[in-house]
Amino acid sequence: MAALSAAMFALRPQLSIATVALVLVIPVVVGVVAGGAAAGAVAVLGGFLVYDVGFIPPYGTLAVGSSQNWVALGVYVVVVVLLGRVTSNLTRAQADARQRQVDAEQLFQMSELLVGGRPLRELLPVVASTLREAFGFEGVVVLLPEGDDLVVAAAAGRPLSSEEVASIRPAGGVRTALSGADGAGGPFSVILQVAGRPVGVLGAVGGWLDPHRAQLLSTFANQTAVALERAALREEALRAQVLEEVDGFRQALLGAVSHDLRTPLATIKASASALRDRAMPLSADDAGELLALIEGQSDRLSRMVSNLLDLSRVRAGALELKREPVSPRALVTDALGLLSPPAGAVVLEGLDGLPAVDVDAGLVSEAVVNLIDNAMRYAPAEAAVRVVGALRESTVSLSVVDRGPGIAEGLAGRLLEGPQTGRGNGPGASGLGLVIARAFVEANGGVIRLEHEPGGGTRATIELGAYEPGGVVATDEEQ
Amino acid sequence: MTATVLVVDDDAALQRVLRLALKALGYEVVAATTGATGLSEAALHSPDAIVLDLGLPDLGGVEVCRRVREWSDVPIIVLSADGSEQSKVEALDLGADDYVTKPFSMSELQARLRVALRRSRATSTAEASSVSVGPLELDLLAHEVRMRGRPVELTKREFQILSFLALHAGKVCTHKMLLDAVWGVGYGASSRYLREYAYRLRRKLGDEDGRLLTSRPGIGYQLVAPPDGDGA
Repeated sequence: MAALSAAMFALRPQLSIATVALVLVIPVVVGVVAGGAAAGAVAVLGGFLVYDVGFIPPYGTLAVGSSQNWVALGVYVVVVVLLGRVTSNLTRAQADARQRQVDAEQLFQMSELLVGGRPLRELLPVVASTLREAFGFEGVVVLLPEGDDLVVAAAAGRPLSSEEVASIRPAGGVRTALSGADGAGGPFSVILQVAGRPVGVLGAVGGWLDPHRAQLLSTFANQTAVALERAALREEALRAQVLEEVDGFRQALLGAVSHDLRTPLATIKASASALRDRAMPLSADDAGELLALIEGQSDRLSRMVSNLLDLSRVRAGALELKREPVSPRALVTDALGLLSPPAGAVVLEGLDGLPAVDVDAGLVSEAVVNLIDNAMRYAPAEAAVRVVGALRESTVSLSVVDRGPGIAEGLAGRLLEGPQTGRGNGPGASGLGLVIARAFVEANGGVIRLEHEPGGGTRATIELGAYEPGGVVATDEEQ
Repeated sequence: MTATVLVVDDDAALQRVLRLALKALGYEVVAATTGATGLSEAALHSPDAIVLDLGLPDLGGVEVCRRVREWSDVPIIVLSADGSEQSKVEALDLGADDYVTKPFSMSELQARLRVALRRSRATSTAEASSVSVGPLELDLLAHEVRMRGRPVELTKREFQILSFLALHAGKVCTHKMLLDAVWGVGYGASSRYLREYAYRLRRKLGDEDGRLLTSRPGIGYQLVAPPDGDGA
């Protein structure tokens, strides 16, 4: 304004009063736009003084000479004041619009966050810290009901003192309005409610709220409440589902254990009671066979018990694996040693020349035992069970193939998932052996698959990674 | 005449024991390891009794039971491994005569088998206006009951229950069968009524220890001639 005035001062004789007035509008507008209403007012006053003293005759005084000059000064003042107001309003409107845009963005980000389907545990801290950043609070807490009490479920920024937390807690009844909305510092609190039912409280300290921000906070609170409710419901549903699954598995396992333990027991008890029955005329051969059955079934029973113990250890992650490179043939030979099937009942194919696998030999041969045992149970007596070894790239596979009735469509996957206690049309044997085999193979980093064998029957395949450092183990380990 | 028993069980070891023991007891034994072969063996040999495992790899014992009953009245004794009562009840409702829970002793199976075989002979001979089970005689037309020759006074319901059991003597009748037969299907009567009536019947028949009217807890009732009564 000083520069403009100096320039015009030099040209004063050539300029009309009106021109000067027009030029002096410029600094006022600039002042208002750049500095807001206060700077505008200063510019208006300054402009008035410069105009009056410097450009309206008599120069150098506040006095206004002619009535014409009065009119010029009057018009200048009115124009400048009006202009200052309009410009200042415009600037404020612009700032408002910017603020609203920021608010909208924040709200959008928050709603993104809230509909993200995160679990409650993750959601709460994010809600607290977002709220703190968006509103510039010093500290934010989320209180959730626990029993009869409200407890701090998440916090962000400065920890709230217990007095502050206490002041946030609703004293009684449901307050829907924001409390502490006027003024600065807080603590502020807003009840989170869904359909009129309170689900928690948001509290904040060390910030300020005006009606606009208060409204924004309420909107945010409503969204948070809905999200909390949803997350809680989802978690409840999830928990129920998990419980149901665990319960289902436990039930199935219990049924399977009961079935698989009772089966050898049935033979043992029937044999022993037959041997004890004096009225039963058994030949010496028959008696000998019954005794052999008792012995064999006792072994089966004891193997099953240790399998079950290992299964629970594997599932609990408490079993220490004794890994060592072992040839696939040795695994199968061990398994056959445990099972001692009748001669010719099991045929071995393609086991020579396979690379060693790095596994706990005890566990994996138990898995093989279970697969062979299972296969023999279903296979017709005249068709041998085949154990087929193969190598594809660096994967060693051992398949147990039977010519039994095969597996019903869709059952294969479920059989490996957990024991099936299907009555009626379900498989009679529970499939506990398959569950055990799967757990043991997977504990050793392997994979087990059940497939329908083309031409009838079932193929159960164990896949294990070949042992790398040692390379191919010199073929046979005949025992 | 030696009776032929068909043993249907998928467990090779148990199959072997049953075959040996039943042969030693003088039965002819036919064996099957799946439901499907069990059905065809039953059709082929017309056995006098079937010992049927409920847990079979293919069909399942309950289904085998249902299919056999479509064309044969042969006594069926089911072997169940799971302790759950439901599959036993299901099999009994579908026409099985009795059940034995694994593990069982041979003498237990033998006793059940003997009762079942006797039932089949009894029903095939008696076209009954009167039924007798051991010391118990029922005149179905005159609604008269005699126990060891002495008349016994029964209410209508008591007589209905007793005559149903007597007509199915040797078979385990489930609660549902009895309730449906006496109170009517869908009446929703509870098995508590049955316990009450069984208690009254035993008292009136002088069978307080339940040797004639035996109860199978959770399953049903069976009217069976006590072993000493008929010299079996």
